[in-house]
Amino acid sequence: MKLTLPKNTFNLLTKKLLSLLMASMATVMSFAQAATDVIAPPQEFDPSGWNWVNILICVLILLIVLVIARAFDIGSLAERITGRKIVSAHKVNGIIALVVLILGLIGVFWELDAHGKHLLLWDAASEHGESLDSMFMWTFGFTFFVFIVTEVLLFFFMFKYYYREDRKAAYFFHNNKLEVIWTIVPAIVLTFLVLRGFNVWTKITQTPNENAEEIEVFAYQFGWKARYAGEDKKLGESSFVLISGTNPLGLAVDGEADKLKDALTAEVAELEAKLAASDDSTAIWRAALNKMESTGLSKTYVSEHKALREKVLDAESGAYARQLKKEIKRKETNLKRIASFRSKPEIFNKESNDDRVTTEIVLIKNKPYMFRFRARDVIHSAYMPEFRAQMNCVPGMSTVFPFTPTKTTAEARSTKGNPNFDYYLYCNKICGAAHYNMKIKITVVGSESEYNTWLAAQAKMVAPPVEAAPAGADSTAVSPAAVAAN
Amino acid sequence: MSTSALHADHHTHDHHHKESFISKYVFSMDHKMISKQFLITGIIMGIIGMGMSLLFRLQLAWPDEQFGLLEMLLGKWAVDGKLDPNFYMGLVTIHGTIMVFYVLTAGLSGTFSNLLIPLQLGARDMASPFLNMLSYWFFFLSSVVLLISVGVETGPASGGWTVYPPLSALEKAMPGSGLGMTLWLVAIALFIVSALLGGINYISTVLNQRTKGMSMNRMPLTIWAFFFTAVLGLLSFPVLLGAALFLIFDRSFGTSFYLSDIFLEGVGALENVGGSPVLYQHLFWFLGHPEVYIILMPALGITSEVISTNARKPIFGYTAMVISLMGISILSFIVWGHHMFITGMNPFLGSVFMILTLIIAVPSAVKAFNYLTTLWRGNLRFTPAMLFSIGLVSFFISGGLTGIYLGNAALDIQLHDSYFVVAHFHLVMGSAAIFGMFAGIYHWFPRMYGRMMNNTLGYFHFWITFITAYLVFFPMHFMGLAGVPRRYYQFTLMEDFSIWMDVNKLITVSAIVGGFAQLLFLYNFFVSIFRGKKSEQNPWQSNTLEWTSPIDVRLHGNWPHELPTVYRGPYEYSRPDRELDYFPQNEEDANAPEVLHVEEKEVAKEEAPVENSVFFAAIKRVFGLSR
Repeated sequence: MKLTLPKNTFNLLTKKLLSLLMASMATVMSFAQAATDVIAPPQEFDPSGWNWVNILICVLILLIVLVIARAFDIGSLAERITGRKIVSAHKVNGIIALVVLILGLIGVFWELDAHGKHLLLWDAASEHGESLDSMFMWTFGFTFFVFIVTEVLLFFFMFKYYYREDRKAAYFFHNNKLEVIWTIVPAIVLTFLVLRGFNVWTKITQTPNENAEEIEVFAYQFGWKARYAGEDKKLGESSFVLISGTNPLGLAVDGEADKLKDALTAEVAELEAKLAASDDSTAIWRAALNKMESTGLSKTYVSEHKALREKVLDAESGAYARQLKKEIKRKETNLKRIASFRSKPEIFNKESNDDRVTTEIVLIKNKPYMFRFRARDVIHSAYMPEFRAQMNCVPGMSTVFPFTPTKTTAEARSTKGNPNFDYYLYCNKICGAAHYNMKIKITVVGSESEYNTWLAAQAKMVAPPVEAAPAGADSTAVSPAAVAAN
Repeated sequence: MSTSALHADHHTHDHHHKESFISKYVFSMDHKMISKQFLITGIIMGIIGMGMSLLFRLQLAWPDEQFGLLEMLLGKWAVDGKLDPNFYMGLVTIHGTIMVFYVLTAGLSGTFSNLLIPLQLGARDMASPFLNMLSYWFFFLSSVVLLISVGVETGPASGGWTVYPPLSALEKAMPGSGLGMTLWLVAIALFIVSALLGGINYISTVLNQRTKGMSMNRMPLTIWAFFFTAVLGLLSFPVLLGAALFLIFDRSFGTSFYLSDIFLEGVGALENVGGSPVLYQHLFWFLGHPEVYIILMPALGITSEVISTNARKPIFGYTAMVISLMGISILSFIVWGHHMFITGMNPFLGSVFMILTLIIAVPSAVKAFNYLTTLWRGNLRFTPAMLFSIGLVSFFISGGLTGIYLGNAALDIQLHDSYFVVAHFHLVMGSAAIFGMFAGIYHWFPRMYGRMMNNTLGYFHFWITFITAYLVFFPMHFMGLAGVPRRYYQFTLMEDFSIWMDVNKLITVSAIVGGFAQLLFLYNFFVSIFRGKKSEQNPWQSNTLEWTSPIDVRLHGNWPHELPTVYRGPYEYSRPDRELDYFPQNEEDANAPEVLHVEEKEVAKEEAPVENSVFFAAIKRVFGLSR
């Protein structure tokens, strides 16, 4: 009653499957190709634009697969004819391991050669960056050595000790000396790395000297702003409650706070009026909905009908009124907070008045800076890879990162041979849809005069009034425009 | 014990408890069936997770092209065949969640803990078969909720698999933080319930249900690994549940555990003050870091068993292996801060976490060296399971070494959240654990289904997957070192990163090839269930007890008569005093000592011809080991 299939069924199926695999891959590729063709006009045959390395790699992989497949085929065929075991799968796999090892090593060194020059870590643009880079080189040297030795051993063992019927494996359980060695040697190396890392880390994060200039970097969905202190060399107080269209960082500036207070009061009044009229509006919406449904318009305007229906249901269940009450409460809380800030002279001390909010960061070479980070809505991360600097910007928390730039933008351009090169600060913590496009330019200049020229062109917080955008919570969208106008 | 006797016994057994289809295949309490349920669910989730990664890899390689296929699949999320940025984030998030929790925690640990703990310990079933069944069905429910969340109108949760608030707490911060996020939290809460029910069961079974003679130091390393994994899960998952509950409160009931000083575009300043987003990160990573080992340790246990069996050689340093598992387990609870060096945590705390983190590299190194030495002078049978285990060791080494960079707070300033991190954890946790899972499936497939899988397909599956995995993840290290941030929808807007376009294409092509190679496995797996060659009772000539329970009948209770008695440890392969190169744990032999102590002189004599293995000879010279 055995239901076993003939021995070669599986081989046949395997071959069918492989051809199916190739075919389906080809189909996907041609789909992709076809999809491209629709959009892009047909291009002339131009092999110079091809990426030969990728094609070569694909061909190489395909070749390897085919060779292995042939090897197995010939082997099983010969076995069937002679009735003896000729090709040992163990041996074949052992040999493949050796081939993969050699190709892999070539690949690793090719990769090091090809991409080694992109390792920004070899070209730090800040003072502490150099110590970090040497830390990296030590770690790289150690791990690369261990990587090569262990991987070579692993694959070499696969080749050397593949199964042979006439052999018996060695019988031993442990070797205390050996085990102690490979516990202690990594421990010593790691202790060395830890101590070095500890030193570098402490040096980077400890508070720097007093004359470091403080710059505030402010993150929001989806962009950055920087704030420079004015003549008083002090960054004024700020709070998230004070944020408005004309005051994107929420600085403690008298005029701005008053404007915001007025706007919020007006909004509260408007909401309260809506709340008082909510019964009437419910009736009006209900009538509109009924009319829409009775005339059959609901079938033509499906989405409008759906929206209206939801609105009516919300209104009738009381959710609409609850929502309004919640909004009023939130705005009143904010009004109270603004009032309480406003009454404190230590917050509204006019230090913010001469602060400059900018859309670019300009630094002077070899001058120590202390970056102070704030976030408006969600967590962002200020990532400046060229300077080896990164710190998260957390709402409700002020974080810092000190560093001293050592290369001007012009110098970096000439060493990189790219006249359009610029330093950037990127966002490196997932923050929403446009996370991938959230950056601010950093320019490092060589002299104080260049810096001063730039700074003088930036508007102060309290300056001759620009055409006032309506202040208030909902008008933040215009803030970039307002700043640009400055 | 003849098979016919077994059959007869089985029939009488059957007669007494007539099982309906429902109680046999659906609400089964037999640990073997539950393990298959976990496995099949895990495989389905794995296919979905892998498919998602291919979709966003397409976007990264060809950001400016339009794929009709995508629009067909995703509808409004890929208008004109171009992936929507919000949905890209959603895919990344759900890919991570599925792979970490549903495939590599439940699919791996759930499958093999359930299958092997009773069978390798000589128990009739789990300590509580009923809780075991509940564990699976909570997991199933959780999977269903998670998959539903992908289809909701505002899109799935899309704040990354770590779902850091405030992004995940504020509905208005991004569309995915609406209903999708709520369902994500519900799914994770259900998942935690499942993991806890499973974990309690594994621990109590290991401690109480061992058969006669199965002392703790005779347990196979798989069991040790599952045991420590269960302990880790039991201690750390409740913390995630707490974190998730706080997040639910913040989202729905107006509390401020994680929220403070927030001004939201289009809304205005929020009322919440006093909370801290960093608190969530502490709670999350208190689970998150042990979770890495919850994923990896079962794979390491499976590897130990498979390598020893197929090298026909005792595992090198059994005690050291157990101690290093224990060391990893304990240390894994006090290193979570290395995920948070630059989140605004006190820098001094950062240096403490750095020291602890680098200590954990020592037991990991011991494990890697012990695997190498187990292979040394073995007689290696390259079954697909063996190949996948060796692949695991290779990934474990390459990925583990890059952990030394990331555990170093100073280097982490540059590497945090870059592609280097992506490369690191995909090698050491993702690829290594999935290879452990494949090794387990190939090795214990005969035990599960009584049939063999096809070896040739297995070889193709292994080599293609192994090579493409390296082609995908190795170049990512270089991207990360050059400061390319992860979770970017496209790089074309950042001039500095556009040099990586070619590499991105290579990665995507490799990922597609690797993805298609998994079809070989699926085909092999599902066809072999029905049409594979019938397996022998002990197809790999293994020592452990699972091969003594009848393989050709499904028997709830595992052994038809008495439970086997254990006389020795599980790794007595190639004993010089025996003709066969294995010695089952339950085989009584009054003359054979438990462990054969080969005379010192004999060892020296045997080692003499191995001088040609240069490295070891050199080690011996240098450290004066040879006499």
